[in-house]
Amino acid sequence: MDISFALTGKGYVIVAADTTAAHSIIKVKLDEDKIKTLSPHLLMAYTGEPGDTVQFAEYIERNIRLYQIRNIYALRPPSAASWIRRSLADSLRSRKPYSVNLLLGGYDTSTHTPHLYWIDYLGTLASVPFAAHGYGSYFALSLLDRYHDPEASLEEGLATLRRCIDEVSKRLIVSPGKYKVKVVDKDGVRELDF
Amino acid sequence: MSIMEYNGGSVIAMVGKNCVAIASDLRLGVQSLGIASNFQKIFPVTDRIFVGLPGLATDVTTLHEQFRYRVNMYTIKEEREIEPETFAALVSSTLYERRFGPYFIEPVIAGMQRTPSGSYKPFIAATDLIGCLNFAKDFVVAGTASDKLFGVAEGLWEEDLGPEDLFETISQTMLNAVDRDTNSGWGVVVHLLTKDKVITRTLKGRMD
Amino acid sequence: MSRSYDRALTVFSPDGHLFQVEYALEAVRKGTCAVGVRGQDVVVLGVEKKSVLQLQDPRTVRKVAMLDDHVCLAFAGLTADGRVLIDKARIECQSHRLTVEDPVTIEYITRHIATIQQKYTQSGGVRPFGISTLIVGFDPHDVKPRLYQTEPSGIYSEWKANAIGRSSKTVREFLEKNHKDGMSRDDAIKLTVKSLLEVVQTGAKNIEISVMESYGKITSLDLSQIEAIVADIEREKEAEAERKRSRLAATAAGQAAMMQRTGESSGQ
Repeated sequence: MDISFALTGKGYVIVAADTTAAHSIIKVKLDEDKIKTLSPHLLMAYTGEPGDTVQFAEYIERNIRLYQIRNIYALRPPSAASWIRRSLADSLRSRKPYSVNLLLGGYDTSTHTPHLYWIDYLGTLASVPFAAHGYGSYFALSLLDRYHDPEASLEEGLATLRRCIDEVSKRLIVSPGKYKVKVVDKDGVRELDF
Repeated sequence: MSIMEYNGGSVIAMVGKNCVAIASDLRLGVQSLGIASNFQKIFPVTDRIFVGLPGLATDVTTLHEQFRYRVNMYTIKEEREIEPETFAALVSSTLYERRFGPYFIEPVIAGMQRTPSGSYKPFIAATDLIGCLNFAKDFVVAGTASDKLFGVAEGLWEEDLGPEDLFETISQTMLNAVDRDTNSGWGVVVHLLTKDKVITRTLKGRMD
Repeated sequence: MSRSYDRALTVFSPDGHLFQVEYALEAVRKGTCAVGVRGQDVVVLGVEKKSVLQLQDPRTVRKVAMLDDHVCLAFAGLTADGRVLIDKARIECQSHRLTVEDPVTIEYITRHIATIQQKYTQSGGVRPFGISTLIVGFDPHDVKPRLYQTEPSGIYSEWKANAIGRSSKTVREFLEKNHKDGMSRDDAIKLTVKSLLEVVQTGAKNIEISVMESYGKITSLDLSQIEAIVADIEREKEAEAERKRSRLAATAAGQAAMMQRTGESSGQ
């Protein structure tokens, strides 16, 4: 039931995810943070099977941190995406696969470029200008096709995100109430009031 | 719905006169929902070999990494580049290793094979998902639009097409076949190999 | 049959010694010196740095390693062994966070490292780690600075201030004489540098100082800062020597005067 969006702009990536934790049709928590900060310039939104999501996200978080402590520098977004994808692909053919879908947004400080990756529980990896998971994707992707601009300022990017969230609220029966929005750019990661 | 059709995508390879061509679409989808229009399914193996990997997208990446690893190991150990025929055997055995839990990919291989006399002859091959090789003399197809590709290619392909004509033939075959398939399309990429160069062109297609 | 004798390198000698462990301690004694000093709310690590060769990249020669946000480790002995042990410790730090949410306490990671070191004195086909370590840091949700030491045998212990490696005995004795409880940041740094200067003749350019002031706040002093502290210490020493000299002169003069007076009185 969870929904996540992400879009790139001029020198930034916005990552948004709803904050509801649900047990079947019951909402049990309304302020769950489903976006982890993996390193100073890397964000990961995770959705999917409850339990698997947090377990997998923390496993990734600790390994990315270990890499940074070992090597001083953090993994760059393409390398991190590749490693995370591999973890999911290996998991897929194990006895009990993780069912976790991810959006990975990062800013590469050595090439000064924003990166966004769409990753699903099968280990499918796609580098995209904008992405969504969950029921939100059926509304958001067509809106983003129309309104996304890779050269947009942060304000314009947030306005586009607003369109997506409003559309979901308007049309989806099981729409979530609140979203957490984080952005990553040259200055690192920060959360936005939205 | 078959797992082979989950992400969509198609690949074709054709033989010409002293050249080969390989083409694929660029769509990545989740059933009918389009996710990306820049998803490469064809990868360079050496300067004279390309491999196309249509099928389940997670396995596209996994197999690409697997083949890259094995080809690199071959190059280091043998101190020479792998030949298309040998690479086809490597693809086949890699897939058969997973006979009872396969990668959901039907690879297509295109390359220029070095002959004992030092010249080059075109080589194409395809396998099924468990590595059964099919060496064809004309063209090979795979992916969700394979049946359409068969039909169009059967009508357009001729023997001994030169590089320019082969490019036109494979491009038209691909573009027209994917237009009749909901799970393929969103642009086409074509690689044309001759004995001494590779030409890569990205074609616009219908974006619906 | 002979297998059972030569598989383990560490077997007891008839008088109860483990020679391999003692040889490992010898490797530690040959290693460069490392000092740890605890202050009121600060803990300082200082290490003697071998001079970097002209064409070497100094960044690749480090004796102080960060294990986690709040833990630092310095070692003396075989650098290669140190690297391996550091990597094991770093994995444990992250693994601990993953399994129980919390970061490691300093004692926990010290015990973990010591346990690894001990295992290598009792298992077959291995040799002990040729390093001693100083582990410093702050426990989560705590303001007290911590300083621990581990040895090749697997012994670990907590300290107010300690030294390992080359001439560690001299340095430890110096620390015993000069350490006071509740030192400020500057005093703790100064004591660290001072104690290192006991064994490092070449001065500031062969000293590396890391300071941890609170949970996760680690700073590494740069050369100019260390040079300033060394200059400060030199000046103090000079002033002390000057005072000593003038006091000596004063007593000598006094004695001379007294001698003269007694001479005069006896003369009358």
